[in-house]
Amino acid sequence: MTEEIKNSNWKLRKGQIIAAKQMTATEKWFDIKLEDGDLDHEPGQFVQVELYGIGEAPISVCSSPTKRGSFELTVRAAGRLTKHMHSMGVGDWLGIRGPFGKPFPVKLMTGNDLLFVAGGLGIAPLRSLINYVIDNRREFGKVDILLGCKTPTDMLFGDEIKTWEKRLDVNFSCTVDRTAPDWKGNVGLITSLIPGVTINPEKTFGVVVGPPIMYKFVIAELLKKNLPERQIILSLERHMKCGMGKCGHCQIDHPKNYYCCKDGPTFTYEEVKESKKL
Amino acid sequence: MKTEKQPVKTAAKPKVAFFDFACCEGCQLQITNFGELLLDVLGAVDVVEFREAISEKWDGDYDVVFIEGSIGDHHAEERLKKIRARAKVLIAYGSCATTGGVNGMKNSFELDEIRQSVYGKDYKLFDSTPTKRVDQVVKVDYYINGCPIYIPELVEVLKCALRGLPYSVPDNPVCAECKLNENVCMYERGLACLGPWTKAGCNSWCVNNGNICYGCRGEVTNPAKNANDVIGKYNLKPELIKAKFDMYNKCKEGVK
Amino acid sequence: MNYHILKKTELDGFVKKLAKTMKVCAPVAKGHNNFAFEEVTSAGEIALSYIPTILPPKKYFMPPREKMLDFDISEGKPKDTASFDSEKIALFGVHTCDLAGIQCLNMVFSEKPRDYNYILRKENVFIIGLECNGYCDTHASCALVGNHYPNGGYDLFFTDLGEKFIIHVGTQKGEELVEGMGLEKASPADLSALDKVREGKKKTFQNEIGVDPKSLPAIFAKGVDSKVWTDLGAKCVSCGNCTNVCPTCYCFDMADTINLDLKTGSRNRTWDSCQFETFATVAGGENFREERGARQRHRFYRKFKYPLDKFYRAFCTGCGRCTRTCMAKINLKDTLRALAAESK
Repeated sequence: MTEEIKNSNWKLRKGQIIAAKQMTATEKWFDIKLEDGDLDHEPGQFVQVELYGIGEAPISVCSSPTKRGSFELTVRAAGRLTKHMHSMGVGDWLGIRGPFGKPFPVKLMTGNDLLFVAGGLGIAPLRSLINYVIDNRREFGKVDILLGCKTPTDMLFGDEIKTWEKRLDVNFSCTVDRTAPDWKGNVGLITSLIPGVTINPEKTFGVVVGPPIMYKFVIAELLKKNLPERQIILSLERHMKCGMGKCGHCQIDHPKNYYCCKDGPTFTYEEVKESKKL
Repeated sequence: MKTEKQPVKTAAKPKVAFFDFACCEGCQLQITNFGELLLDVLGAVDVVEFREAISEKWDGDYDVVFIEGSIGDHHAEERLKKIRARAKVLIAYGSCATTGGVNGMKNSFELDEIRQSVYGKDYKLFDSTPTKRVDQVVKVDYYINGCPIYIPELVEVLKCALRGLPYSVPDNPVCAECKLNENVCMYERGLACLGPWTKAGCNSWCVNNGNICYGCRGEVTNPAKNANDVIGKYNLKPELIKAKFDMYNKCKEGVK
Repeated sequence: MNYHILKKTELDGFVKKLAKTMKVCAPVAKGHNNFAFEEVTSAGEIALSYIPTILPPKKYFMPPREKMLDFDISEGKPKDTASFDSEKIALFGVHTCDLAGIQCLNMVFSEKPRDYNYILRKENVFIIGLECNGYCDTHASCALVGNHYPNGGYDLFFTDLGEKFIIHVGTQKGEELVEGMGLEKASPADLSALDKVREGKKKTFQNEIGVDPKSLPAIFAKGVDSKVWTDLGAKCVSCGNCTNVCPTCYCFDMADTINLDLKTGSRNRTWDSCQFETFATVAGGENFREERGARQRHRFYRKFKYPLDKFYRAFCTGCGRCTRTCMAKINLKDTLRALAAESK
């Protein structure tokens, strides 16, 4: 056995769950500590989570790299692996590969206004950037956060969101598709929040993360606000299996042959607008 | 990894029972033919009922039951429901149980016609219903398709059942596995094979051993839209393929 | 590099000597005009005249099923060990299309991040090419992509000159082998005989589709929404035969297997196919390539469009395997012709 094989990209780092919380009926949050140091990720990257004997799944890191010592994942019980992961809790071990993928272009965004648009579970990868920006708040201009969920009970990171709402250096708005008796906020699709935001197209980056169906409509609204295509940043969902741009699963139907795991998952709209599907 | 929730770690091994309905019991025979693997399986579970190998009966609940055979009369339906009520996990195994198998051919005829030809003039004394798959009578948690079952797949399913993980029968055509085994295509040999329409998961067992695929694992969910193209290459008629499929897949059309 | 000579009567001795130092794999007849690379120990077992094997030689570089890791979860914290095993192999009789296929895969897996399982296995393979003096059958399109002539990718390369083979030495490793076997150097007459074979091939091998290969990238750039893909989609069985037999298809899946003790097990890599319905499906259920037509288009774009930008060459080797194996009569040459005709 050679060193190359032992230390290849397939090598699994061991992580232990140090905190976990059921957030909604389908989403659970985990705080994971690697035995061999920090994950050392950047906002927008993802990891491959290995549950030994079940397999691997790609999960976005939802914590900011400014949080040191451990990293966080929000896992939706969607497939065989993630459903099983919901039965896991503090003290349980898992395998981690990564971080993988191209992060959000933080350097490019520095000094500019930011408009975050998150739909549903899209808040998870976006939270890694939002918290990064909040922790480095003076490096950025105006910050607007728009969040959309199906119903009030589907809202993730509720406690943390309350702190965003209270901050004076962040403008936060939220909407739900379907209301509930004790909901006093907006009702309607996320696109309904965009016209109310003041955007300086010269110096604003729109960062949009949500289900594929959301992109088309949100992007149309942002373009109406004259936001240039290269200033609209998306994080696309595909089935990343290897994280190395090889296994083929996450390739995007685009003339440029993008692998979501390597060339993405973050792209500018300009880069991916020719894709068959976003 | 979560370990304490795995049932096998507990001192008492899961109680597993095997039952048969209308079938040839060939799938049970496959299990007794496990060879060395049987010892591993017996290390992981406690087999409490198995007609072909042991005579004891168990009167408690079952952790896992394996059901072989299809359901062909009212008595069998009642018996199956009683077993289901005592079983935490129910696995239908073999073509008869999962797809109806060859017993499904019964449904091509009028029931009384069949009863007469089998039981003679006193046929009315003999209970008989159209053939049903197990999941047409009770809830099925796992499926192991095939006539007979493919042992490695049974072991995979058993492991999933013991760990509470789902198992899905592969939904690609048998060709997907057959090609990896580098078999000479049966069509190239001049034989009509059901591989292109049949669910994989058997590692192209029959073709590896020089036989065509008989479609025993059932048709893929989304078969080729245009079967004519597939067999047109070899100048075959679609009716031939359809007739071949009837052998194992008549129950697919449901019960009359 | 040098040219050497091996008389056909000496081939058996050559194979036997080689088999003493490493496992020799060569095309073997399987009946019904089907061939497969298998282990041989004598020349008699080898099919010197063969059409492309059922599976290409990629099976020796990336096995259909490969164990990557052993694990043990019997204690709380999992333990694992990387797994790798490979033996020295000589591949004998590799046609120029398949040499090109191996070159393509070498590029893919050597690109960073490197895949050392592939690379280390590749370093264990000694490659002996074999020239096609004529077409294997009408499904080949090697002249279209320029693979009817050798373009490197071998340690030794055999060309049939009738009574004997002329061997081109491609690497130092190859030189040492022929020197060790004491093969005589080729004479000027042998070299001119080789030239004659090559000259003759110019007439035999002609662009098979009558479309300039240089125009293919533009044709594909234009053809994204072509009806051609809908037509292929209506035929396709989604059996994955075309990708399994393709010398440059390398998509794979990773899956865990646990043993009956439910404590120990392994992680394994297996070949996967973009033609399978589940290939581009995410856990939430969204399938990014739901239509068969879209999946077939993807396969063609991964041969004639995407790799050109990344690896500066088409990833179709012209071997014709996908056409030969397709249950639904999807024909590569016809598809290219139809696409070209449409873009006019």
